[in-house]
Amino acid sequence: MLIPRRVKHRKQHHPERGGASKGGNELNFGEYGIQALSPAYVTNRQIESARIAINRHIRRGGKVWIQIFPDRPLTKKPAETRMGSGKGSPEWWVANVKPGRVLFELSYPNEKVAREALLRAAHKLPCKCRIIKREAGDI
Amino acid sequence: MSEIKIAAEPRDTFGKGAARQLRRDGKIPAVLYGHKQEPVHLALPEHDLFLALKTPNVLLNLDIVGGKSELAIPKAVSKDPVKRTLEHVDLLLVRRGEKVTVDVPVVTAGEIAPGGLLELVLTSLSVEAEATHIPASFEVSIEGLEEGSQITAGAVPLPSGVTLVTDAEAVVVHVLTPAATLVEEESAEGEAEAGAEAEAE
Repeated sequence: MLIPRRVKHRKQHHPERGGASKGGNELNFGEYGIQALSPAYVTNRQIESARIAINRHIRRGGKVWIQIFPDRPLTKKPAETRMGSGKGSPEWWVANVKPGRVLFELSYPNEKVAREALLRAAHKLPCKCRIIKREAGDI
Repeated sequence: MSEIKIAAEPRDTFGKGAARQLRRDGKIPAVLYGHKQEPVHLALPEHDLFLALKTPNVLLNLDIVGGKSELAIPKAVSKDPVKRTLEHVDLLLVRRGEKVTVDVPVVTAGEIAPGGLLELVLTSLSVEAEATHIPASFEVSIEGLEEGSQITAGAVPLPSGVTLVTDAEAVVVHVLTPAATLVEEESAEGEAEAGAEAEAE
Protein backbone atom coordinates (compact mmCIF):
# COMPACT_ATOMS: atom_id res chain seq x y z
CA MET A 1 0.00 0.00 0.00
CA LEU A 2 1.19 3.53 -0.74
CA ILE A 3 2.67 5.30 2.27
CA PRO A 4 5.30 8.05 2.60
CA ARG A 5 8.79 6.81 3.45
CA ARG A 6 9.35 9.59 6.01
CA VAL A 7 7.43 12.68 7.00
CA LYS A 8 8.43 15.97 8.61
CA HIS A 9 5.40 16.07 10.92
CA ARG A 10 3.67 12.88 12.05
CA LYS A 11 0.33 14.60 12.79
CA GLN A 12 -1.03 17.32 10.56
CA HIS A 13 -4.10 19.52 10.36
CA HIS A 14 -6.87 18.36 8.04
CA PRO A 15 -6.10 19.15 4.38
CA GLU A 16 -8.01 22.00 2.70
CA ARG A 17 -11.20 20.68 1.04
CA GLY A 18 -12.32 23.72 -0.95
CA GLY A 19 -11.70 24.73 -4.54
CA ALA A 20 -10.87 22.90 -7.73
CA SER A 21 -7.72 21.06 -8.66
CA LYS A 22 -4.94 23.32 -9.93
CA GLY A 23 -2.82 20.70 -11.67
CA GLY A 24 -2.92 17.10 -12.80
CA ASN A 25 -6.20 17.69 -14.62
CA GLU A 26 -5.16 16.18 -17.96
CA LEU A 27 -4.14 12.76 -19.20
CA ASN A 28 -0.36 12.59 -19.41
CA PHE A 29 0.48 8.95 -20.03
CA GLY A 30 -2.48 6.71 -20.70
CA GLU A 31 -5.31 6.87 -23.19
CA TYR A 32 -8.10 6.65 -20.61
CA GLY A 33 -8.40 7.96 -17.09
CA ILE A 34 -10.58 8.52 -14.03
CA GLN A 35 -11.24 12.17 -13.21
CA ALA A 36 -12.66 13.27 -9.87
CA LEU A 37 -15.76 15.47 -9.95
CA SER A 38 -16.10 16.08 -6.23
CA PRO A 39 -13.62 16.64 -3.39
CA ALA A 40 -12.55 13.65 -1.30
CA TYR A 41 -9.89 12.23 0.96
CA VAL A 42 -8.83 9.08 -0.92
CA THR A 43 -7.11 6.63 1.41
CA ASN A 44 -4.22 4.39 0.42
CA ARG A 45 -6.50 1.37 0.87
CA GLN A 46 -9.00 2.78 -1.62
CA ILE A 47 -6.22 3.52 -4.11
CA GLU A 48 -4.90 -0.01 -3.77
CA SER A 49 -8.39 -1.49 -4.08
CA ALA A 50 -9.04 0.51 -7.26
CA ARG A 51 -5.67 -0.49 -8.72
CA ILE A 52 -6.35 -4.17 -8.07
CA ALA A 53 -9.86 -3.82 -9.60
CA ILE A 54 -8.32 -2.44 -12.81
CA ASN A 55 -5.54 -5.04 -12.99
CA ARG A 56 -7.92 -7.96 -12.35
CA HIS A 57 -10.26 -6.77 -15.10
CA ILE A 58 -7.69 -6.06 -17.80
CA ARG A 59 -5.69 -9.17 -16.79
CA ARG A 60 -2.73 -8.40 -19.09
CA GLY A 61 -1.86 -6.23 -22.03
CA GLY A 62 -2.40 -2.89 -20.31
CA LYS A 63 -0.54 -0.36 -18.22
CA VAL A 64 -1.84 1.57 -15.22
CA TRP A 65 -0.55 4.84 -13.79
CA ILE A 66 -1.60 6.09 -10.34
CA GLN A 67 -1.55 9.89 -10.40
CA ILE A 68 -2.26 10.57 -6.73
CA PHE A 69 -0.24 9.81 -3.63
CA PRO A 70 -1.62 9.55 -0.06
CA ASP A 71 0.80 11.93 1.63
CA ARG A 72 -1.49 13.43 4.31
CA PRO A 73 -2.03 11.67 7.65
CA LEU A 74 -5.41 11.79 9.37
CA THR A 75 -5.62 11.06 13.08
CA LYS A 76 -8.31 9.46 15.22
CA LYS A 77 -8.89 9.37 18.95
CA PRO A 78 -9.63 5.95 20.46
CA ALA A 79 -13.28 5.11 21.16
CA GLU A 80 -14.81 6.17 24.48
CA THR A 81 -12.01 8.61 25.29
CA ARG A 82 -12.57 11.90 27.09
CA MET A 83 -11.77 15.03 25.13
CA GLY A 84 -8.37 16.61 25.59
CA SER A 85 -5.06 14.83 26.28
CA GLY A 86 -3.63 15.78 22.95
CA LYS A 87 -4.21 14.83 19.33
CA GLY A 88 -5.15 11.26 18.43
CA SER A 89 -2.84 8.81 16.72
CA PRO A 90 -2.39 8.65 12.91
CA GLU A 91 -5.03 6.33 11.50
CA TRP A 92 -5.18 6.88 7.73
CA TRP A 93 -3.01 8.14 4.92
CA VAL A 94 -5.03 10.10 2.38
CA ALA A 95 -4.60 11.95 -0.89
CA ASN A 96 -6.43 15.27 -0.88
CA VAL A 97 -8.37 15.08 -4.15
CA LYS A 98 -10.17 18.08 -5.58
CA PRO A 99 -12.60 18.25 -8.53
CA GLY A 100 -10.87 17.92 -11.89
CA ARG A 101 -7.98 15.80 -10.68
CA VAL A 102 -7.03 12.75 -12.78
CA LEU A 103 -6.63 9.84 -10.35
CA PHE A 104 -5.73 6.89 -12.57
CA GLU A 105 -4.58 6.56 -16.15
CA LEU A 106 -4.82 3.44 -18.24
CA SER A 107 -3.40 2.36 -21.56
CA TYR A 108 -5.22 -0.59 -23.10
CA PRO A 109 -5.97 -1.57 -26.70
CA ASN A 110 -9.69 -2.30 -26.23
CA GLU A 111 -11.80 0.73 -25.28
CA LYS A 112 -14.77 -1.26 -23.97
CA VAL A 113 -12.65 -3.32 -21.57
CA ALA A 114 -10.69 -0.23 -20.52
CA ARG A 115 -13.89 1.64 -19.64
CA GLU A 116 -15.26 -1.38 -17.73
CA ALA A 117 -12.02 -1.64 -15.75
CA LEU A 118 -12.03 2.06 -14.88
CA LEU A 119 -15.70 1.92 -13.90
CA ARG A 120 -14.94 -0.91 -11.47
CA ALA A 121 -12.11 1.20 -10.03
CA ALA A 122 -14.35 4.27 -9.78
CA HIS A 123 -16.76 2.29 -7.61
CA LYS A 124 -13.97 1.82 -5.05
CA LEU A 125 -13.35 5.55 -4.75
CA PRO A 126 -15.11 7.92 -2.35
CA CYS A 127 -15.84 10.66 -4.89
CA LYS A 128 -17.95 11.25 -7.96
CA CYS A 129 -15.86 10.34 -10.97
CA ARG A 130 -16.01 10.29 -14.74
CA ILE A 131 -14.02 8.34 -17.27
CA ILE A 132 -12.10 10.47 -19.74
CA LYS A 133 -10.41 9.60 -23.00
CA ARG A 134 -7.56 11.33 -24.80
CA GLU A 135 -8.93 13.20 -27.82
CA ALA A 136 -7.07 13.35 -31.13
CA GLY A 137 -6.13 17.04 -30.84
CA ASP A 138 -5.15 16.98 -27.14
CA ILE A 139 -1.59 17.91 -26.34
CA MET B 1 -3.28 25.13 -42.15
CA SER B 2 -6.15 27.48 -42.94
CA GLU B 3 -6.80 30.64 -40.96
CA ILE B 4 -9.91 31.06 -38.85
CA LYS B 5 -11.33 34.54 -38.73
CA ILE B 6 -12.59 35.68 -35.34
CA ALA B 7 -14.06 39.03 -34.40
CA ALA B 8 -12.29 40.54 -31.38
CA GLU B 9 -13.23 43.47 -29.21
CA PRO B 10 -10.66 45.42 -27.24
CA ARG B 11 -11.46 45.50 -23.51
CA ASP B 12 -10.51 48.04 -20.90
CA THR B 13 -11.98 46.43 -17.79
CA PHE B 14 -9.81 44.00 -15.88
CA GLY B 15 -9.94 41.79 -12.82
CA LYS B 16 -12.11 38.81 -11.88
CA GLY B 17 -15.36 40.79 -11.72
CA ALA B 18 -15.00 42.13 -15.25
CA ALA B 19 -13.78 38.75 -16.53
CA ARG B 20 -16.80 36.99 -15.03
CA GLN B 21 -19.15 39.56 -16.55
CA LEU B 22 -17.55 38.91 -19.95
CA ARG B 23 -18.02 35.16 -19.56
CA ARG B 24 -21.67 35.67 -18.60
CA ASP B 25 -22.04 37.64 -21.85
CA GLY B 26 -20.68 34.70 -23.86
CA LYS B 27 -17.19 36.12 -24.36
CA ILE B 28 -13.77 34.96 -23.29
CA PRO B 29 -11.07 37.33 -22.01
CA ALA B 30 -7.84 37.06 -23.97
CA VAL B 31 -4.50 38.80 -24.22
CA LEU B 32 -2.46 39.24 -27.39
CA TYR B 33 1.29 39.78 -27.12
CA GLY B 34 4.54 39.29 -29.01
CA HIS B 35 7.04 41.13 -31.21
CA LYS B 36 7.96 43.38 -28.26
CA GLN B 37 4.65 45.22 -28.59
CA GLU B 38 2.45 46.33 -25.73
CA PRO B 39 -0.01 43.57 -24.79
CA VAL B 40 -3.53 44.05 -26.17
CA HIS B 41 -6.45 42.88 -24.03
CA LEU B 42 -9.31 41.40 -26.03
CA ALA B 43 -12.70 39.77 -25.65
CA LEU B 44 -13.43 36.91 -28.05
CA PRO B 45 -16.74 35.15 -28.80
CA GLU B 46 -16.81 31.95 -26.73
CA HIS B 47 -18.43 29.54 -29.19
CA ASP B 48 -16.31 30.55 -32.19
CA LEU B 49 -13.15 30.35 -30.11
CA PHE B 50 -14.15 26.96 -28.66
CA LEU B 51 -14.65 25.54 -32.16
CA ALA B 52 -11.42 27.10 -33.44
CA LEU B 53 -9.34 25.72 -30.57
CA LYS B 54 -10.39 22.16 -31.40
CA THR B 55 -7.53 22.31 -33.93
CA PRO B 56 -4.19 22.39 -32.11
CA ASN B 57 -2.00 25.44 -32.91
CA VAL B 58 -4.79 26.97 -34.99
CA LEU B 59 -3.91 30.17 -36.85
CA LEU B 60 -6.40 32.85 -35.83
CA ASN B 61 -7.06 35.92 -37.93
CA LEU B 62 -8.25 38.42 -35.33
CA ASP B 63 -10.48 41.13 -36.70
CA ILE B 64 -10.10 43.71 -33.95
CA VAL B 65 -12.96 46.21 -33.78
CA GLY B 66 -11.62 49.71 -34.36
CA GLY B 67 -8.16 48.40 -35.21
CA LYS B 68 -6.29 46.34 -37.74
CA SER B 69 -6.50 42.57 -38.12
CA GLU B 70 -3.72 40.48 -36.62
CA LEU B 71 -2.54 36.88 -36.96
CA ALA B 72 -2.10 34.91 -33.75
CA ILE B 73 -1.66 31.39 -32.45
CA PRO B 74 -2.82 30.17 -29.02
CA LYS B 75 0.03 30.14 -26.53
CA ALA B 76 -1.82 29.08 -23.36
CA VAL B 77 -5.45 28.10 -22.88
CA SER B 78 -6.94 27.92 -19.39
CA LYS B 79 -10.04 25.80 -18.98
CA ASP B 80 -12.33 24.95 -16.09
CA PRO B 81 -11.01 21.59 -14.81
CA VAL B 82 -14.49 20.07 -14.44
CA LYS B 83 -16.74 21.81 -16.97
CA ARG B 84 -13.96 22.09 -19.60
CA THR B 85 -15.23 25.54 -20.60
CA LEU B 86 -12.75 28.20 -21.70
CA GLU B 87 -11.68 30.73 -19.08
CA HIS B 88 -8.85 32.69 -20.68
CA VAL B 89 -6.59 32.51 -23.72
CA ASP B 90 -3.09 33.83 -24.26
CA LEU B 91 -2.47 34.59 -27.94
CA LEU B 92 0.94 34.98 -29.54
CA LEU B 93 1.23 37.55 -32.28
CA VAL B 94 2.76 36.10 -35.46
CA ARG B 95 3.64 37.40 -38.92
CA ARG B 96 3.41 35.61 -42.26
CA GLY B 97 6.63 33.74 -42.97
CA GLU B 98 7.78 33.92 -39.35
CA LYS B 99 9.02 30.72 -37.72
CA VAL B 100 7.57 29.69 -34.37
CA THR B 101 8.25 26.83 -31.97
CA VAL B 102 5.11 24.84 -31.23
CA ASP B 103 4.07 21.46 -29.84
CA VAL B 104 2.36 19.33 -32.49
CA PRO B 105 0.41 16.19 -31.45
CA VAL B 106 1.55 12.74 -32.51
CA VAL B 107 -1.04 10.37 -34.01
CA THR B 108 -0.40 6.67 -34.54
CA ALA B 109 -1.55 4.82 -37.64
CA GLY B 110 -1.89 1.07 -38.13
CA GLU B 111 -1.81 -1.90 -35.79
CA ILE B 112 1.15 -3.30 -33.92
CA ALA B 113 2.08 -6.98 -34.13
CA PRO B 114 -0.26 -9.08 -31.95
CA GLY B 115 0.87 -9.68 -28.38
CA GLY B 116 2.56 -6.35 -27.74
CA LEU B 117 1.35 -3.30 -25.85
CA LEU B 118 1.83 0.09 -27.46
CA GLU B 119 2.99 2.91 -25.21
CA LEU B 120 2.88 6.45 -26.54
CA VAL B 121 5.73 8.07 -24.61
CA LEU B 122 5.61 11.48 -26.29
CA THR B 123 2.13 12.71 -27.15
CA SER B 124 3.52 15.76 -28.93
CA LEU B 125 6.73 16.86 -30.61
CA SER B 126 8.22 20.32 -30.29
CA VAL B 127 9.01 21.65 -33.77
CA GLU B 128 9.94 24.89 -35.46
CA ALA B 129 7.64 25.73 -38.34
CA GLU B 130 6.34 28.65 -40.33
CA ALA B 131 3.43 30.20 -38.44
CA THR B 132 1.16 29.92 -41.46
CA HIS B 133 2.12 26.29 -42.17
CA ILE B 134 2.01 24.52 -38.82
CA PRO B 135 1.14 20.83 -39.31
CA ALA B 136 -2.03 19.68 -37.54
CA SER B 137 -0.40 16.44 -36.39
CA PHE B 138 2.41 13.99 -37.15
CA GLU B 139 1.38 10.53 -38.22
CA VAL B 140 3.60 7.74 -36.95
CA SER B 141 3.13 4.38 -38.63
CA ILE B 142 3.20 1.54 -36.10
CA GLU B 143 2.09 -1.14 -38.56
CA GLY B 144 3.56 -4.49 -37.56
CA LEU B 145 5.82 -3.05 -34.84
CA GLU B 146 7.31 -5.95 -32.85
CA GLU B 147 7.66 -6.20 -29.07
CA GLY B 148 10.66 -4.28 -27.77
CA SER B 149 10.91 -2.04 -30.84
CA GLN B 150 10.62 1.71 -30.66
CA ILE B 151 10.36 4.82 -32.83
CA THR B 152 12.43 7.86 -31.93
CA ALA B 153 11.61 11.50 -32.63
CA GLY B 154 14.26 11.62 -35.35
CA ALA B 155 12.50 8.81 -37.25
CA VAL B 156 9.15 10.64 -37.45
CA PRO B 157 8.64 11.96 -40.99
CA LEU B 158 8.33 15.76 -40.97
CA PRO B 159 6.90 17.92 -43.75
CA SER B 160 9.28 20.26 -45.58
CA GLY B 161 10.01 23.51 -43.77
CA VAL B 162 9.55 21.92 -40.35
CA THR B 163 12.55 21.28 -38.11
CA LEU B 164 12.60 19.17 -34.98
CA VAL B 165 13.32 20.87 -31.65
CA THR B 166 12.73 17.82 -29.44
CA ASP B 167 15.82 15.61 -28.94
CA ALA B 168 16.04 13.31 -31.99
CA GLU B 169 16.95 10.39 -29.72
CA ALA B 170 13.80 10.78 -27.59
CA VAL B 171 11.49 7.76 -27.78
CA VAL B 172 8.04 8.60 -29.19
CA VAL B 173 6.40 5.17 -29.15
CA HIS B 174 7.58 1.79 -28.04
CA VAL B 175 6.03 -1.63 -27.78
CA LEU B 176 6.09 -3.26 -24.36
CA THR B 177 6.01 -6.96 -23.60
CA PRO B 178 2.76 -7.61 -21.72
CA ALA B 179 4.28 -10.60 -19.89
CA ALA B 180 6.75 -8.27 -18.17
CA THR B 181 3.90 -5.95 -17.24
CA LEU B 182 1.98 -8.84 -15.73
CA VAL B 183 4.94 -9.99 -13.62
CA GLU B 184 5.39 -6.42 -12.39
CA GLU B 185 1.72 -6.19 -11.43
CA GLU B 186 1.73 -9.53 -9.66
CA SER B 187 4.82 -8.63 -7.66
CA ALA B 188 3.25 -5.28 -6.76
CA GLU B 189 0.08 -7.06 -5.63
CA GLY B 190 2.16 -9.54 -3.65
CA GLU B 191 3.97 -6.71 -1.91
CA ALA B 192 0.71 -4.96 -1.17
CA GLU B 193 -0.79 -8.08 0.37
CA ALA B 194 2.37 -8.69 2.41
CA GLY B 195 2.26 -5.08 3.59
CA ALA B 196 -1.38 -5.39 4.62
CA GLU B 197 -0.62 -8.57 6.54
CA ALA B 198 2.31 -6.96 8.32
CA GLU B 199 0.11 -4.01 9.23
CA ALA B 200 -2.61 -6.30 10.57
CA GLU B 201 -0.06 -8.05 12.79
